[in-house]
Amino acid sequence: MQGKKYIMGIFKDEDQVVSTLAALKETAYKFQRVHSPIPSHKIMAALGLKKSKVGYFTLVGGILGLISGFALAIFCSTRWNLIVSGKPIISLIPFFIVGFEFTILFAVFGNVIGLLTQARLPSFKEVEYYDPRCSGEHFGVLAACEPMQQDGLKDFFQQNGGEVKVFE
Amino acid sequence: MSQLTYASIDQTILNTLGPPKKYYWAIVAVLFLGVLIGGACWVYQIFVGIGVGGQNNPVAWGTYLINFVFWVGIAHSGTLISAILHLFRAGWRNPIARAAETMTVFAVCIAGLFPFIHLGRVWQVYYMLPIPNHRLLWPNFLSPLMFDVIAISTYLTVSTLFWYTGLLPDLAAVRDRSQGTRKKIFKFLSMGWTGAHDQWRHYTRGYLFFAALATPLVISVHSVVSWDFALGITPGWHTTIFAPYFVAGAIHSGLAMVLTLMIPLRKIFRYEKIITSDVLENVAKTIVFTGLIVGFAYATEFFIAWYSQNIVEMESFRWRAMGDYQLEFFIMVVCNTILPLFFLFKNIRRTIPLLFGISLFVNLGMWYERFVIIIGGVAHGFSPHAWGLYRPTGVEYGILIGSFCLFFFLFLLFTKHLPSVSMTEMKETLEHGGSHAG
Repeated sequence: MQGKKYIMGIFKDEDQVVSTLAALKETAYKFQRVHSPIPSHKIMAALGLKKSKVGYFTLVGGILGLISGFALAIFCSTRWNLIVSGKPIISLIPFFIVGFEFTILFAVFGNVIGLLTQARLPSFKEVEYYDPRCSGEHFGVLAACEPMQQDGLKDFFQQNGGEVKVFE
Repeated sequence: MSQLTYASIDQTILNTLGPPKKYYWAIVAVLFLGVLIGGACWVYQIFVGIGVGGQNNPVAWGTYLINFVFWVGIAHSGTLISAILHLFRAGWRNPIARAAETMTVFAVCIAGLFPFIHLGRVWQVYYMLPIPNHRLLWPNFLSPLMFDVIAISTYLTVSTLFWYTGLLPDLAAVRDRSQGTRKKIFKFLSMGWTGAHDQWRHYTRGYLFFAALATPLVISVHSVVSWDFALGITPGWHTTIFAPYFVAGAIHSGLAMVLTLMIPLRKIFRYEKIITSDVLENVAKTIVFTGLIVGFAYATEFFIAWYSQNIVEMESFRWRAMGDYQLEFFIMVVCNTILPLFFLFKNIRRTIPLLFGISLFVNLGMWYERFVIIIGGVAHGFSPHAWGLYRPTGVEYGILIGSFCLFFFLFLLFTKHLPSVSMTEMKETLEHGGSHAG
């Protein structure tokens, strides 16, 4: 990627971003990413993104939680084999409550782990090619090109109604 | 909402994070004093013994348990607003979701303190944890009190993670508009969030699962709290209606607390364009709904006591309405079921002082509801020889005041240090009318 130029088109309108992304596909410029202050369905659809895999982490967490909750309750109960109030040592109905709470807890842990690993967070190094306005009221479309194509990419963003920011 | 823009939303919310005025610190100091009073009462109780409270035989569960149930209940509406209304795509919840979620986290923390306070010998709290100990004893998961330990700690963990996840994009927005030390702090807190499309792709999905998991959790938590009572055979407690009755009551009290917090917040931070009268009106309408459920539950309890023709149950409910605690019962019924009905009138729903006033009465009524249920149950049980009465002592009032001061103290610190309205969700409301749709 060395020697490439990174240029960001900064837009105020979500629809302009969508049309720019569609137009960008028809060019030789390399799309990098979009920064936006909100999660935008239109932008996601324009990029044709696949569904996130976070749900698999959540599911695995939930299954582990269910097993762990029951296992914990059964383990504790069998450490002291004393029948209380005529209830069986291993009473599945009350233990289901422990199993249920652990299912939710571990599913949430799985969800957080999934979110962090998939979205590559936390990341404390300085982000390259980012404009702070993109967490406010602007949308930034980042694209890369060969140095000789730089003017063309700038013109492209301007023609689509964006402000241009060139990263050195 | 139509006058709002992305820039005006940022401006309004970020302005609230400016240096506070002197009176802010004065109120914080007064609240902190209240916290110290509560803390001092607890320390006194630890040194002298649990007998400094009004608990006795037969009323072994006093205000500490009332406060526990009250604060868990307050927490519930935060999750209703952030998770359940999110799943229903109710866009009106966006302006109040952040503050309500924060309220949830603080309320669960405070609720979690009360079992410790009630314990007396607080240093032995680890007996409730399933860890190896010198007595070779393990917790008995047949006990509803152990369900509670698991449910409340799960609820605290999940609501805190949910709250922080929702906060991430806003922390990045504050980071990008700060300088110096504040920038460094928010850079750390925002964990490198940039709003890149790939981050949003995973975030929206994760947020949806959070909401989907928090919804059954919130229902289970107050059901579990209700089973602390319903699984005992005490008259007035041993009913199957308790779980839905407690969940509805929890949301009822929590929504009232949302109004109690939002109305001053809206006035002080000039959030009128963000937290509009329509938003407050929708909360009031929901309070009418939960108030009707709670009223129906009160009536059902009396009906079933009569229908069962069980003399102990009938006496328990006769005494509830006409016995030593009839004033508390009267406060409960009027504040929780009759006053909220005034919200059926549109002009009352849209009059801010009336909204605020009725919300305070509902808070009061819901505290007394727990008083009537908890104290009324054990004070007037099966055997007339074992009937008794209970009044809280000064130490218990001190701890009660301390808990309220701690709640408002934490909330006040939050409002000046973190965005009290979600900027991201407000911007989404402008675009899509919804939030984080995954």
